[in-house]
Amino acid sequence: MDYKHSTIEQLNEAICTGKVKSEELFNEAMHLIEQYQEDYNAFVTIISKYKKYGQKDTLISGIPYALKDNISTSGILTTASSNILKDYIPVYDATIYKKLKQAGAVLVGKTTLDELAMGGTGTTAHTGIVRNPYDKQRLIGGSSAGSAAAVSLGIVPFAIGSDTGDSIRKPASFGGIVGFKPTYGRISRYGLFAFASSLDHIGCFTRNVRDAAIVTDILKGNDPNDMTTLPDEEVCYLDHLNDDIKGRKLFYIKEICEEKIYQDSDENVKKTIETFHQTVEKLKEAGFEVDEVSINKELLNAIYPTYMIISCAEATSNNANLTGIQFGPRQDGQDINEIMFRARTIGFSELIKRRFVLGSYILQKENQEKLFKNACRVRRMIVDKMNDLFKEYDGLILPASGTIAPEFTHTSKSEKLDPKATVLENHMAIANFGGFPSITLPMYYYKGLPVGINLTGRPREDKDVLNMAQKIEDVLQIKNKVAGDYDV
Amino acid sequence: MISKEKLKEYANKLMFDMNEEEYETLQNEFDIILKQMEWIEKIPNIKDVEPMTFPFPLKNACLRKDEVGDYLTVDEVLMNTKHQVRDQVKVPKVVE
Repeated sequence: MDYKHSTIEQLNEAICTGKVKSEELFNEAMHLIEQYQEDYNAFVTIISKYKKYGQKDTLISGIPYALKDNISTSGILTTASSNILKDYIPVYDATIYKKLKQAGAVLVGKTTLDELAMGGTGTTAHTGIVRNPYDKQRLIGGSSAGSAAAVSLGIVPFAIGSDTGDSIRKPASFGGIVGFKPTYGRISRYGLFAFASSLDHIGCFTRNVRDAAIVTDILKGNDPNDMTTLPDEEVCYLDHLNDDIKGRKLFYIKEICEEKIYQDSDENVKKTIETFHQTVEKLKEAGFEVDEVSINKELLNAIYPTYMIISCAEATSNNANLTGIQFGPRQDGQDINEIMFRARTIGFSELIKRRFVLGSYILQKENQEKLFKNACRVRRMIVDKMNDLFKEYDGLILPASGTIAPEFTHTSKSEKLDPKATVLENHMAIANFGGFPSITLPMYYYKGLPVGINLTGRPREDKDVLNMAQKIEDVLQIKNKVAGDYDV
Repeated sequence: MISKEKLKEYANKLMFDMNEEEYETLQNEFDIILKQMEWIEKIPNIKDVEPMTFPFPLKNACLRKDEVGDYLTVDEVLMNTKHQVRDQVKVPKVVE
């Protein structure tokens, strides 16, 4: 069977009818890891011995998958791609890992991430950079870089990631796959190494929307170990998928999508915006109502700095436990302060330290009001604006990125002072600010490389977001693709 | 521009240090970031808004009952440190 292009349901049927054994799928995944690991570096740890737990009657039973290496797996090395955790072996399972085991899915490996999930490039892991399956000279994006690459390469039909600013949805765009983070609290984060607790989400990568519904059905649910989880809801996302989007209203933001804004931008950005507008027309033909909505530019320009301020401040606090005392490489020192100081100096990479210093600066007494509290105020203004719009509209659609995946040599420093480019590349953090369910799926290919479209919906209405996303997927007719299907 | 000494002070408060070259990179980065942060101050009436710390109110959030649940054994707790003595993590003497 064509393992790389099969959907979860096709694999499940093949297992159930005896056409293939779970172990054969696992071996197929191992073969692909052997083929790709050196070039793409998707994995920190490879689980080379087949081990299946749990039920036989779920759709993912017997199917290989990968977990981001910031999710706790008892007895299995979990490094968060950081030197400070390079030997850390957890003693407990994350709730989602337990659920996946109980559902019978088969873990093939722990995937590479930007160190401690802080980064959007996939270039800062202690084990090296992750390369884009469509072009090795380009990044795949991050922080869930290895999970995205593993699905995009066809190694696994699904992988788990975490998303604090767009860490699932941006690499999904650069990898030509689906990336879904449901509502804040829909999936337990017990066992996820915290980056910024008020923004962190767990979600999944798949190669079609239907598979995202299947995986989310397994992962979701209230968890007594995570007080931020939502109450259970009696709904199966897969069963809820249908063709009916009658009356569904979407909007896009004029200040991000207006073609004239990008007159001086490169051809790739212009093409993305043009394709986005063509897509909007197709969606209208398919039955969606789509409106252009105007939002205060100052508010949009503030998305990226707001994200940086809140996430760095929270990260500074969350990572205070990484001391090299109870776990992590122990350094020499005359006293515990010296041991911790040396462990953290040696254990964190430069980028992480820079983010932490920023967090420290923000949290200084004299800066708290001006920076941290103002960022939290902007967060509320953005979320309130979105919630107002969600009274009339069912979803927000926007390009998931302005361009194809950048080359490793590309420097974006100048862009960071250009608000228009910054908003186009960072707007997906809106969904983290408000805990909105948000999904990226492939929109088009530019010179053979994928660019995604993003749909964000009302909080708690994950099922409707998945349903609308499936319709968008039908309209765009790009699904179940793996790198190599298109020549670069 | 923020001074390198100030950046070093912030880093040391978080119990780590960086080298000279890294502080220089950080100094340049801070220049960009502080300019971006000025975008926030341009937003009108920002002071009238209540800061938001979570995406939405969590209605079910409550403290767990005071009941014995799952717990780690001593061996599990010590599993990730090579430095241990009498079922405890060993560190240099802290009392003179």
